[in-house]
Amino acid sequence: MSRNASRPRLDPADLPPLRWLLGGLLTLLGISTVLYTDVDAGLLMPLAAVVTLAVLLRPRLPSRVPQLVHTLAFPVILGCFALDLWLELELLPSLVRLDILLLIYRNLGYRSRREDLQLIVLGLFLVIVAGVLSVSPTFAVHLLVYGACALSLLLVLTLEAGGGPPERIGVADVRNVPAWVRQGGWRARFRRWFAVLDGQLAVLGGAVFVLLVAGTTLVFVSLPRFQLESGLFLNRVITKKAKSGFSDSVQLGEVSAIQLDQGVALTVDVDDPAAVPRDLYWRMIVLDEYVDGTFRMSPALRAQFGPERLAAQQPGEGRGGDTRTTAWTLYLESGVSRHLPLLGPYERLRFRERQTFRASAPLALVALREDPVAMLAFRVDGFRSGLVLPDPGFLARWERRERGSEPGAPLQATLPGSGRDRLLLRQGVDILGGAEGGAVDFARRAAAWLRERHGYSLSPAIPPGAGDPVVRWLNSREPGHCELFAGSLVLLARAAGFPARLVTGFRGGSWNGYSNSLTVRNSDAHAWAEIFDESAGGWRRVDPLASPVADAGAGPDTAAAVAPQPDRSWEARWDSLRVFWYRRIVSFDQRSQVESARGLWAAAAAGFRESRDAARASLEWAAAWWRTAWDAERLAAAGGVVGGGLLLLLLWRRHRWAFRRGPGRGGREAAVRREAGRWLGRLAPAAEDDPERAAVIAKLQRLRFGAAAGWPDPTASFQRARQLRRRPGQPARFNRS
Amino acid sequence: MSDFVAAPRMEQARLVLDRLRANMRETIRGKDGVIDLVLTGLAAGGHVLLEDLPGVGKTTLAYSLARSMDCTFSRIQFTSDLLPGDVTGVAVYDETMRTFVFKPGPVFAHIVLADEINRATPKTQSALLEVMDRARVSVDGQTHAVGSPFMVFATQNPLDFEGTFPLPESQMDRFLLRLRMGYPDPADEREVLRRARGGYDAIALNPVASREEVLELQALVGEVFVEDTVLDYMLRLVGATRAEPEFRHGVSVRAGVALRQAAQARALVAGRDFVLPEDVAALALFVFAHRLAPLRPSGAPAEDTRAVEAALRRILAEVARPE
Repeated sequence: MSRNASRPRLDPADLPPLRWLLGGLLTLLGISTVLYTDVDAGLLMPLAAVVTLAVLLRPRLPSRVPQLVHTLAFPVILGCFALDLWLELELLPSLVRLDILLLIYRNLGYRSRREDLQLIVLGLFLVIVAGVLSVSPTFAVHLLVYGACALSLLLVLTLEAGGGPPERIGVADVRNVPAWVRQGGWRARFRRWFAVLDGQLAVLGGAVFVLLVAGTTLVFVSLPRFQLESGLFLNRVITKKAKSGFSDSVQLGEVSAIQLDQGVALTVDVDDPAAVPRDLYWRMIVLDEYVDGTFRMSPALRAQFGPERLAAQQPGEGRGGDTRTTAWTLYLESGVSRHLPLLGPYERLRFRERQTFRASAPLALVALREDPVAMLAFRVDGFRSGLVLPDPGFLARWERRERGSEPGAPLQATLPGSGRDRLLLRQGVDILGGAEGGAVDFARRAAAWLRERHGYSLSPAIPPGAGDPVVRWLNSREPGHCELFAGSLVLLARAAGFPARLVTGFRGGSWNGYSNSLTVRNSDAHAWAEIFDESAGGWRRVDPLASPVADAGAGPDTAAAVAPQPDRSWEARWDSLRVFWYRRIVSFDQRSQVESARGLWAAAAAGFRESRDAARASLEWAAAWWRTAWDAERLAAAGGVVGGGLLLLLLWRRHRWAFRRGPGRGGREAAVRREAGRWLGRLAPAAEDDPERAAVIAKLQRLRFGAAAGWPDPTASFQRARQLRRRPGQPARFNRS
Repeated sequence: MSDFVAAPRMEQARLVLDRLRANMRETIRGKDGVIDLVLTGLAAGGHVLLEDLPGVGKTTLAYSLARSMDCTFSRIQFTSDLLPGDVTGVAVYDETMRTFVFKPGPVFAHIVLADEINRATPKTQSALLEVMDRARVSVDGQTHAVGSPFMVFATQNPLDFEGTFPLPESQMDRFLLRLRMGYPDPADEREVLRRARGGYDAIALNPVASREEVLELQALVGEVFVEDTVLDYMLRLVGATRAEPEFRHGVSVRAGVALRQAAQARALVAGRDFVLPEDVAALALFVFAHRLAPLRPSGAPAEDTRAVEAALRRILAEVARPE
């Protein structure tokens, strides 16, 4: 029997299992995007994953699904959707769950080509919903993979449609077991696909896909920007639930719980790394009311927030004589809080799109109406960070309250109601030496005392018993977390008669060496105290867990101290991608667009300059090296380099075909045939009296046109051809044609 | 030697072919090329149309081949009054058995020489061509298999067409190769003159190949490897004939298959178990030419043949060979 093909060709029978596999992958990719959203599909997602994996691994399973399931599928799914909508009253989550149900059903039967197209659309719906809601870089990767799979499936569908009879439009017999299911397993199918796969074609397909993505990126960069007002409609359709829980009231342990999460909470793009303060305290919420282990924002403090506004920017009051005009862009991850992390007063705060928010100038805080459902980008100009937050009006209010002219406004944390607790607190104040020396001195002493008595631990031990938990802890020597330290300091200050309050947010951040940006993680969540410093006319930050020097306020406020040790871990690499995503894709306005274009141009020009300089330097170096006196060592080195290079070239020329594998165009077999063809073209035909040449040519012919199974040793044959060609009388190149 | 087709089988085939070649050279002088083509036709299991002037050795060639093998030979002189039954055989009534008994005709032989085939009526030609195609004869509802191997040598005169019935194109398609003997070289012709002999019966050749050996040879041809690029080359040639404006039509799919079989057989005759592009190029003219017709016939068959062959040579020169 004749063997006519060196590589098996793609057969129409190879396509249906590939279609089945790609459909399953698309289903899995589609349902996994629901993880990015807050849609409650806790039961449906695992079910869909299990069903999809099961039918992928055992393609016979759909044939065992009773016909009744298919008969009842449509009314049941419709009924589930109606019931879901009626119970939840939220359209989008119901649609997402309906989509997952349909995906499950599509995997319970053998799909026709039309149903595969439906599956692509169903998965795409989930991907788009997740993309709009999350805007995360992970989603971008997800979308790329989904796009590649969907395009592959469309290609397979097109090939099938081209190679077979037109498909009947109608409901396919979903239980009718296709022929491919009865033949072989996945291992054999993968082996077969691998055998028919044309490596060069696959590379070409990949290159086309990359070009497609690159082209889309270029179009994205070059298209004029437009603003989507207040986000897409989906933001309003779906209810977002905060994940980390920075809310208006903080119970003991809540901040520490956030610290357990290593996820990124905030990414900050700074314009000048030198202007990054040494101590970064990202203030988010000020809590001035304390009741039985819970700090809250009092109504009076809430009143300091202005009326709710729908605007794209908020002017601040941060412009001061010592303020450097900085422009920082902050990317706040979804689920962190509706309170924006800010270092202090600012000159101007701008959102990418209009937001509904309230701002408080004396508190230097901004709170959105709702938790942002996706990453929120905002830009802050003229940050002024410092130990003291000016609050000129507070003293007057405080005095009015002391006089009793402003009843009902606590203005700062109230003391625990129990007499015993108050007594213990006063004892503490006495131990600290009373209120003499002013608020700042007291705070320093109190912080030092707390550090001396208690260790730091994320798993604090509050002694059991009656009374206030903070006072109980304070009265012990047990270790505690930041909330206990800061809460104790606030209560002690209050007991001593100083206005004090608790502040929550983040402390510090790591400098990403790849993206040159600050990364603040949930593990940086922190709580500290602010005590009113009458002499400074503002609230002084007191962090009992900070170093005594920082706590005392010694040293400059804005010394660059974050950048010295950039984070170059793999996590930082990934975070830098996230920053790129935020900078150039998500928060890509016209200004960024111009910056990108300029950056590209500058990079291209710099690359050209650098390559030219490098070439010139290399030439100069080579010339200088050549002019240097030659000695045996230099000669040997030059000879070694040239010889090594020539040897490598020779080895490559002789054995390049040996690096190829497989029978395809790019495989070893084709490479040997090409090499043999080249040698046949170089060698003159054998004369009758030259049996040696005839033998070599016969071997080359066998390598070129014979079956691979009967090949002589290619290396030896090419070697003999090479020797033959060097013989006198052989033309430089013989053209057989 | 080959590793693809088992080496002993290839060696055996080479020995058989060498013996046949040497034996035929005893009687056919200076026509080694034609002998190899005939052996190619034999190995491919095809039929050969010998088109040349009378007296150049067509019959001797066929006779030599038949005598060289341990096979039966028969010759049919086609004339206008020859009936199909004269070729295939007839059923005659046997008085003793009281039934019709089939009397096989001359076509029941391994090598059949159909001399001047174009002198018979189309009906008789068709009878022979049916046998060539199916290797069996149907008479009165009974099917009778002819010999195996079965090879027909048909001859016709390319110049004298008076009183002839030219074979239609569909029937020409049945022949694997069309060959021409041509005049021998003077030196060879002198040798022919020197060894002048009487009729064909005077050709004294001993069989050098058994029937089984020939069948094995034919089976081996199918195992000769054809590389993809060589197949593509064949396809390009076939396609070129179909796109050639000088031809009334291109060659058929059967012609493509015939070219492949012939190329495989030529490779085997040359001692190879794989086909070279040269095999294809060398045979294209012999396989395609009689299957093609010029778009504008001149009225002189010899002229038309020359035009077709010239166009085919041009196509062969233009179509790129795999390197």
